[in-house]
Amino acid sequence: MSVLDVAGLAVEYPGGVRAVDGVSFSVDAGEALVLLGESGSGKTTAARTVLGLPGRGARVSGSVTLSGTDLRALDARGWSRVRGARIGYVPQDPTGSLDPLRRIGPQLAEVLLRHRRADGRRAAREAVPALLAEAGVAEPERVARAYPHELSGGLRQRAAIAIAVCCGPELLIADEPTTALDALVRGRVLDLFDELRRRRGIALLLVTHDLTAARRIGGRVAVLRTGRISGTGPTEQVLGASPGTAADAEADPADPAADAADAADGMVAAEPGGRR
Amino acid sequence: MTLTTKPTKPAGPAGPVEPGPVEPGPVEPGAVRRAPRDVLLLLSAGAAALLVLLALGAPLVAPYDPAAGSLEDRLLDPGAPGHLLGTDGQGRDVLSRLLWAGRASLVGGLVPVLVAVTAGTLLGIAAGLGGRVTEQVLLRTLDVLYAFPGVLLAIAVATLLRPGLGATVLALSVVLTPAVARVAFTELRRIRTAEYLEAARVSGAGGLDLAVRQVVPVVAPVVLVYAASLVGLSVVYAAGLSFLGLGVAPPTAEWGAMLDELRPSLFTHPWVAVQPALVILLVSVVFNTLGERLRRRIGDSGAHLPEAGR
Amino acid sequence: MTGFLLRRLLLAVPTLLGVTVVVFATVALVPGDPLTALLGPGAPPEARHELSERLGLDEPLPLRYLGWLGGVAGGDLGVSISAQRPVAELLGSALGQTLLLAGAAFLLVLAGGVLLGALGALRPNGPLGRLCDALGTLAVSAPQYSVALLLIAVFAVNLRWLPAGGTHDVFGGGGAGDLLRHLVLPAVAAALVPLGLTAKVFRAALSTVLAGELADSLRARGLSRFAVLRHCVHNASPALLTIGGLQLAYLLEGVVFVETLFAWPGVGRLLYDALTARDLPLVQGGVLVVAVAFVGINLLVDAAHAAIDPRVRS
Repeated sequence: MSVLDVAGLAVEYPGGVRAVDGVSFSVDAGEALVLLGESGSGKTTAARTVLGLPGRGARVSGSVTLSGTDLRALDARGWSRVRGARIGYVPQDPTGSLDPLRRIGPQLAEVLLRHRRADGRRAAREAVPALLAEAGVAEPERVARAYPHELSGGLRQRAAIAIAVCCGPELLIADEPTTALDALVRGRVLDLFDELRRRRGIALLLVTHDLTAARRIGGRVAVLRTGRISGTGPTEQVLGASPGTAADAEADPADPAADAADAADGMVAAEPGGRR
Repeated sequence: MTLTTKPTKPAGPAGPVEPGPVEPGPVEPGAVRRAPRDVLLLLSAGAAALLVLLALGAPLVAPYDPAAGSLEDRLLDPGAPGHLLGTDGQGRDVLSRLLWAGRASLVGGLVPVLVAVTAGTLLGIAAGLGGRVTEQVLLRTLDVLYAFPGVLLAIAVATLLRPGLGATVLALSVVLTPAVARVAFTELRRIRTAEYLEAARVSGAGGLDLAVRQVVPVVAPVVLVYAASLVGLSVVYAAGLSFLGLGVAPPTAEWGAMLDELRPSLFTHPWVAVQPALVILLVSVVFNTLGERLRRRIGDSGAHLPEAGR
Repeated sequence: MTGFLLRRLLLAVPTLLGVTVVVFATVALVPGDPLTALLGPGAPPEARHELSERLGLDEPLPLRYLGWLGGVAGGDLGVSISAQRPVAELLGSALGQTLLLAGAAFLLVLAGGVLLGALGALRPNGPLGRLCDALGTLAVSAPQYSVALLLIAVFAVNLRWLPAGGTHDVFGGGGAGDLLRHLVLPAVAAALVPLGLTAKVFRAALSTVLAGELADSLRARGLSRFAVLRHCVHNASPALLTIGGLQLAYLLEGVVFVETLFAWPGVGRLLYDALTARDLPLVQGGVLVVAVAFVGINLLVDAAHAAIDPRVRS
């Protein structure tokens, strides 16, 4: 049974702009789905609508179901029980998503307490280092005491991931989680997503414009163009067999140089869909 | 902030948020539609024009000679026959005086802004295009002037001069120039690395040529919009200086001076005494609204402008 | 942290020196005969001679400045012409009254500014938010002297609810309640402009945070509305602090008008009297004290900023 089921999702903004126009997809437990598209294709809007944060003035239609829960029917209180607990969210830029004025540890502990995953402040504080370590942080004690600006981009993103998965969510949504990172770190962070998916059976919805990242995550891919899905299927098949679709996605001029560097670093396996 | 650099924008949430390749998407609906006509902008611009016209046309509109009083008609309340807004302690018609006072008051408010725009832009460009030494010397000097609260700096300068409209204008010019210079400098620094400037520099354009042909057109709109938001402040400061006796000499009508003249009758004829105060408040609201709407008009590029209150 | 503050303190030194140069210049450069300017036209020759000696008027300007600066550093601000008492003494007793008034006004500024700003940011398109925005604009445009006169006319003369001036009633017994009654109107008159500015800046800062990536990712963590707001207010607070500090300084100059109109015996009123009497040493001392306080407040704001934001410290 699917963890996430999206059917006929459409998002319209005032002024008649349809950012997402009849999109359907599903993600199973332990499976990865990559939403691939250039900027403006509606991929971020789709992901954020799943999370119930489509932005001011948006009109949403269609259905979004999380393991039997109708997310479209949730009120504010219901949403705050789902977000952070059943759906983890890793935003694009950890510099903007972590509170710059609070240390990492308290930010993580706050989420644990909110969703009652810890009994009291003390227990929450004590649970932090282990959770950071699980996100691949080498010195969890030090990182817990650090302010976000004192950490490298990679460590910041790992901290953001730790916050996203600390309550054991069924679904993890990651929006361009590696765009702000340099090439070397990028591959390792993608591997962390892969590991979380396989070991903990989390359903992963990854939003990206980066073909290399899509190949590295593997699983299935859905290519979005102007708010519609223009192609879907296993990653190797879509990105390997259909050069037209792939070229469309690659037309994004965002950072070909970084992609090249990524490949040159040997961080990406030679063949498409290379997973270790 | 303070001593080195005044904040040019509210020190935001998390300092500079790196833009990153955010998917633009249609998140900002307002950007898609055309901006609606700004009613407040039109209203305040109309009101400002009307105020200037009334001051200019005072000889034609004012019912009485502003300096001529009659002893029988002293301190009439507003609504008295023949004197719509009443009379002052010397029996002079308050409406006529308020109209005439607009001339001195608006000169005291507008001229310093014009001076500050000219001098401030030049200083800002000199600091931005000159060498490191020029830049540091100018910026430090401006910092010192900036370290004074506005009214006190104006008082300090005005005490050096013989009281009069000239003293007001000069003092306020000194107060406002550093603020304008800073805006011009900041704006210039934003574009200093711009490619066309580099290109012009590489192709051998001289400093002055560069300043006039490339920089002024870019800096001017922002400076002018900022200056518009200074007019209200300047009018208030000018009237304040007159109220303190540093402005126009007694027989001349000026809003701040009238405030001081009518003060003794505040307890017996409060509604006469508060009229200059109300006029200054009204003028201040009109010019501040105009300045704020103009700022909003230029949108994002104006978001970094400091608030006009120094 | 200590290093940061030391650097700031060092940067303040040239500014302070610049301030003293400007204040010194206001008297040294006064046109005409400085002795007449300082003592008035009818002063006896021996007084003129004594003052000329004391000021070292025959010495070159830089030397005179240094001598004057030395005096200032030792608390010697000269003698008031109109009161014939040391300027430092006059200012010292007035400063307490001014700080009381400015402090009361500052509380109003913070409370009102945060309230108007927060409501404006939380309800940007609703009627309540628009009302708050409009009130903010109105407050910014309300000159202290206009507000002071209007308040006196309405609440003291017409309604007779509150006293029109002074700090205590003649037969009021001098209690704290009496003082408070006298404090209300001047504090409101002094507070409006800075209150409006604070509201505007805080609203802009809070709106930016609330619409930003941080607020969304906090919501995505499932935090309560209140918790999200708490984080956002915290992140908007450096802007509040910066503008708040500026406004506290601004209050110190606004009191010139407010104290004069309400007969409040502080530095502002002293300055007004000194201006009317052309009492230059007193003007000079008053301007210097307020300007130095202004620089000092800015330093305090920097320190508080560093305490809130770890990025400023490092």
